[in-house]
Amino acid sequence: MNIKNEVLVRVYTVLALVVVAAVLIFAQAINIAVIQGDEWRKVGEKSYVQMRSFDAERGNILADDGSLLATALPFFDIRFDLMAAGLTQEIFDANVDSLAHCLAVHVDQQYTPGGMKSELVRLRQEGKRYHLIARNVSYIKKEQISQFPIFRRGQNGGGFIAERLATRKRPYGSLASRTIGYTKKGDNKRGVKDTKVGLEGYFDKTLSGKQGKRLMQKVHGDQWIPVSELSEIEPTTGNDILTTINVNIQDIAHEALLRGLNVHNAEDGVAIVMEVETGEVKAISNLSRTENGWVENYNNAIGRAIEPGSTFKLAPMIALLEDDLIDLNDKVEISLGEKEFYDEVMKDASKESFNLDSTTMRRAFEISSNVGIAGQIFKHYRGQDRHGNIKAHRFLNHLKKMNLHSPTGIEIKGEAKPRIKNPDKNEDDWSGTTLPWMAIGYELLLTPMQLLAFYNAVANDGIYMKPHLVTEVQQFGETIKKIKPKVVRERIASLKTIKKAQELLLSVVENGTAHKLATSRYQFAGKTGTAQVNYNKFKDQKKDLKHRASFVGYFPAKQPKYSCIVVVSAPNNNSIYGGDVAGPIFREISDKIYSLEIDLHQALNERGKPRMKTKYLPTLNIGYKSDMETVLNFLELPHASETSTEMTATFAIEDTIRLKPRTIKDEKSVPNVVGMGLRDALYVLENKGLRVEIDGVGKVKRQSIKPGTRTRGQTIKLTLS
Amino acid sequence: MSIGNRIYAELRGDRVIWMIIAVLSVISILAVYSSTGTIAYRSQDGNTEFFLLKHTILIFGGLFLTYFCYSLHYKKYSTLAPYLILLCIPLLAYTIVFGNEINEARRWITIPIIDLSFQTSDFAKLALITYLARAISSKQEYIEDFNSAFLPIIIPIVIVCGLIAPSDLSSALLLFSTCFFMMFIGRVHWKFLLMLLMMGIVLFTFLITLGTFFPDYIRVDTWASRIMEFREGSDNIYQVAQAKIAFANGEWLGVGPGNSTQRNFLPSPYADYIFAVIWEEYGFIGGLTVISMYVMLMFRTASLVTKSPKAFGAMLAMGLTLIIVLQALINMAVTVNLLPVTGLTLPFVSMGGTSLLFTAIAFGMILSVSRYIEKVA
Repeated sequence: MNIKNEVLVRVYTVLALVVVAAVLIFAQAINIAVIQGDEWRKVGEKSYVQMRSFDAERGNILADDGSLLATALPFFDIRFDLMAAGLTQEIFDANVDSLAHCLAVHVDQQYTPGGMKSELVRLRQEGKRYHLIARNVSYIKKEQISQFPIFRRGQNGGGFIAERLATRKRPYGSLASRTIGYTKKGDNKRGVKDTKVGLEGYFDKTLSGKQGKRLMQKVHGDQWIPVSELSEIEPTTGNDILTTINVNIQDIAHEALLRGLNVHNAEDGVAIVMEVETGEVKAISNLSRTENGWVENYNNAIGRAIEPGSTFKLAPMIALLEDDLIDLNDKVEISLGEKEFYDEVMKDASKESFNLDSTTMRRAFEISSNVGIAGQIFKHYRGQDRHGNIKAHRFLNHLKKMNLHSPTGIEIKGEAKPRIKNPDKNEDDWSGTTLPWMAIGYELLLTPMQLLAFYNAVANDGIYMKPHLVTEVQQFGETIKKIKPKVVRERIASLKTIKKAQELLLSVVENGTAHKLATSRYQFAGKTGTAQVNYNKFKDQKKDLKHRASFVGYFPAKQPKYSCIVVVSAPNNNSIYGGDVAGPIFREISDKIYSLEIDLHQALNERGKPRMKTKYLPTLNIGYKSDMETVLNFLELPHASETSTEMTATFAIEDTIRLKPRTIKDEKSVPNVVGMGLRDALYVLENKGLRVEIDGVGKVKRQSIKPGTRTRGQTIKLTLS
Repeated sequence: MSIGNRIYAELRGDRVIWMIIAVLSVISILAVYSSTGTIAYRSQDGNTEFFLLKHTILIFGGLFLTYFCYSLHYKKYSTLAPYLILLCIPLLAYTIVFGNEINEARRWITIPIIDLSFQTSDFAKLALITYLARAISSKQEYIEDFNSAFLPIIIPIVIVCGLIAPSDLSSALLLFSTCFFMMFIGRVHWKFLLMLLMMGIVLFTFLITLGTFFPDYIRVDTWASRIMEFREGSDNIYQVAQAKIAFANGEWLGVGPGNSTQRNFLPSPYADYIFAVIWEEYGFIGGLTVISMYVMLMFRTASLVTKSPKAFGAMLAMGLTLIIVLQALINMAVTVNLLPVTGLTLPFVSMGGTSLLFTAIAFGMILSVSRYIEKVA
């Protein structure tokens, strides 16, 4: 064979091999694609992919000063796709030891590193694609775990899956929690609808932003894992809402209500604080008794319409005044606090009524005489006028003008509608007794929020503001929408009438049912209410009657800043009256807000600097001398230093504060720290080598070790008050 | 003169091979664009055009290199060959120890200053094949002599393959088989070829033994596990199953351009598994086209060899063609699960920077041969 032929034979051999290989490959491809096609397509479908939407980061709910009431804290479920595409056996084998070590040390201490390793090996053999590594871990922890061996290769390379969860955090805990609300996804299959409560629910669309979409792969059951870390359509983060809630006022209202409910052993209670001029709801607290203590489980302030009782009497008063049917000094019939309307007897609660035949309209309101007010309404609005019109409509039209027929439209779903009877409607069951009982706040239903909005309008010189909770929608801190205060009615009554109504409310506090609540520090105005809750059922068993005590009003009485309502249901520690139960809660709220807001105070030096009298000056205050001098200098109080000791005690003599010596001996004996502030007491005692335990707040009242005892590094307990 | 005519006039040499290059380029751009969706989302904020652009530029860069190498007379490669082989051996040694570790294997080095990383084995392939073509053709007269012909031919093969094998066994085997076939065509005696095979086995055994002591440098574990997996039934291997689903989805006619779903599941759908994506989208027509391009390339080169069997050019073209075609066949055979999983890409189709450029250079050299052999003939 010549060279050329030999080469050719060999070339053709190679060529033939190539062709055979190519044919084999093609045949195998056809085999897989067509002959085994169905089988493999089924396998493919099992792990099929879908474009699935996922939630965006939810916006925040902010208090009026921008602090966070509810925020989306990112929490993660960490899962491990042991069959991730890029996680080859060699990579797994090479790193499983160190991964197991990291997991056992930093994530799940129940496992030893060795135990974790065999667990991981087993899971990989089983082909687990969605193994739960850790639940609810923080962002920082997630970042840490993501840097573990294998995991740091990412999702495709290392099977690391971090599922972001929409965990909602309320930094202020249960404060206004019902008003802040929540949302809960329903279950379509079982016909469970989404739950949307409070502001979270009302502003759900604004807060939730736009869902994103990403390709997800079904692993098993109904579990889906994202195919890659990135989404096809990026979600749009939800917007923030700036609410009117003031954290301080909310805290005040919450604490005051809580204390009151405990004192009176009540069932539930509501406290709302509203800014008079704007209708901004500054605080809204709902507490109900449960087995687990007091919780905000229902927004009674907005969702529950109740018979308001005596607090409603202001509305018929305004109607009478508006129609000029009576003046405040006109005499009205009291008839010893008892009057029959058709077959029903109405009684007064006030003892004063039992001795009165008649009194002025003003006094009748001050002592909340049922007979006095209902009698007038009955007298003037009963029956028909000359033209055959039902006169009650006139009365009802006044109520309409006071916006008492309409819901407030506050941004919370499920506001209960007011229910006010109409003589034209059969289903309303209007009877002869309806009118007088309406006059004292029965046979009609209002929510605390609706009643407060009405009182707020009176405080606001007749301008009815829409109560609202949200003032702005923000995006990344920028305002994108402002919600302005809305005037619902320009005048609920003539200014003359409103002024008289204001006068009445003030005199309730000064001379009437709430006179025990009055304070010399500032004036406030309001009305008490004590409604019977279950009067129909227990007509004859007076003992079991349940009551609802309320107080609604505003402060300061002149130039009101805030209006406030407190409703306490079923108080049962003897006192049931609005003035005794709800009034003190109102006072606590108004006192604290008053202390908080310097704007509300009248300046002490409005009429020049007063000359200090000895009794106003601090005496026997013990403390660190240079601090003391700083304070006295700041307050510009006349003082004279008469000592060079470190600590000093004040003695006021005439108009001068004298700083007397207060010696702490150098000996190893326990000094006397009674009367000192905690800072000074700590300084003195710890310098003597004592350990200090404290109880209470304020100044040292008692010390557990007698002064003069030898110090041996004991623990001394201080009681402060 | 129209542009088409002008190009036609400019591109002498084997026009069928030019056509093959053009078809592969088009398929490559289409398939890479479609299959880079997943990584584009990951690394480029969803900008899939990024990879399209990058890859297209690379293809055109490759075509330019092809043209450049084609326009050089192939005899120049013969002169360069010894120097190239001398350069590549230290480079390979350097890579084993200091190379960049990508996917747990050291196969890459970065050229300083221009900051381009490439696989030294790609360069070594060209160097060794050129050297071998020269050696075989120049020693044709005494090719059956052991000392003067066989040894000088065999020593570089053993060294180069031995240096590539620790980190990249499949490339080493590929190069080794290419050399084997070249020697077979170059009339090396079958006794020597058998001896070469034996040496290969010995070398391989030696590597495995060494690998148990230096697992960081020699990936014995990987080799073992790949082969074990293949023997135990590879349908459980994730990528094998996903590739099969891709073929099944494509069935006869394919799901259409850009509609692949398996690209989301296949590991590197734009490289190792691009053949599966092509089949999924274009069905048997796409698959057949790709396969026949490589087979056709083989035929064209075979005809070159028949024209001047002794020439260096023919051996060079044959060697280069063999390595391209063998790599393609191995890649596709892996994709259809006829062979255990390797990391070999589909030449001139897979995305992957410098290896594409080396393939382009190989094409240029083949064309240069075809051009001058035609002239002679």
